[in-house]
Amino acid sequence: MKAIALVAAVALIAAFGSALAEGEDEGPFSKGSQAKNWNLLGQEKARFEAKVVDVLCEVAGDCPENCGDGRRQLGLLRAADGVLVLANKNTQPAFTGANLDLLPYCNQEVEVDGLLVGLSDYTPAKMYQVQLIRRKGETEWSKTNRWTKEWAAANPGAAKAKGPWFRKDPRINALIERDGYLGLGLEKDEAFKKYLFEE
Amino acid sequence: MRGLITGLMLAALALPASALAATQGERVKIKGEVIDTWCYFSGVMGGPESVLGSAHHTCALWCAAGGIPVGVLAEDGTVYMVLKYEGDDHVTGGDTILEVQSDLITADGLLYERDGINYLVVETVTANDGLVNLSHEDYDVIPPFAIPKPKQ
Repeated sequence: MKAIALVAAVALIAAFGSALAEGEDEGPFSKGSQAKNWNLLGQEKARFEAKVVDVLCEVAGDCPENCGDGRRQLGLLRAADGVLVLANKNTQPAFTGANLDLLPYCNQEVEVDGLLVGLSDYTPAKMYQVQLIRRKGETEWSKTNRWTKEWAAANPGAAKAKGPWFRKDPRINALIERDGYLGLGLEKDEAFKKYLFEE
Repeated sequence: MRGLITGLMLAALALPASALAATQGERVKIKGEVIDTWCYFSGVMGGPESVLGSAHHTCALWCAAGGIPVGVLAEDGTVYMVLKYEGDDHVTGGDTILEVQSDLITADGLLYERDGINYLVVETVTANDGLVNLSHEDYDVIPPFAIPKPKQ
């Protein structure tokens, strides 16, 4: 099984590595984009003007104050065509979404730069990774890297320990302690770890 | 009567533009796995099939806690983005959404299709079969560092 997993991983890396020849990540909104390459499936650089919206409000008319204060998924209502783009990810390589980076701009007009991501085999519409944002008319961009700072402020004790947030988050650790890394219970977890690290 | 009509018109103008653009949802019943949509769509960790189930459970916890949109992957391959879960709108890392990562659920709710994306308001979870996708049997663990190597 380890061999199969390794071969699959190598094949995937090779496929993704070759998927992005120069210029292949260009799309209709790529002009002027400074977005960094993440070698993602169906990746297209995309810089556009939009309004930051609470997605649940936008699609269902369920509209609390301040876009839900960070509880909800936020989107970008693109100025050029009125398309609602789902903001799926911020710029941090740390398993972090975009909602806390967009929240300060709730219901405001902004310009964003980042990557549209996804293959049509899996999604009819691409998701968006927001890398940079600024209010319409501003000259300076802000990086979308607020999430881990907000987490550290909310978890001051855990934040003092060494390591990335996801290794220290008390709620995640409690679930892993209860259900194991595989989510199948501690007994299956132990047997799998023995296979993974000792065999 | 004229006063009433004027009042209604003023009330409509006072509504947020978003509320005016909203649509009625379609009542649906969806059965599928609760997934991390960033890894599934972006390929950042590997192919879509490898970032489901037990192999990817820990990463799904990380991403859900990190506020990445959670989806429900139905048996026909359609992904539904969860905007509310049994009355709880804290879908960006809330306790409820964290608890059901990788589970196979059956949900009644309202579907809103917008610009190619299916958005789901889960009203009631009628069944939760737990984590039944034993993907670690094929993929081990994705990403490989999700399970830390025991210290010697």
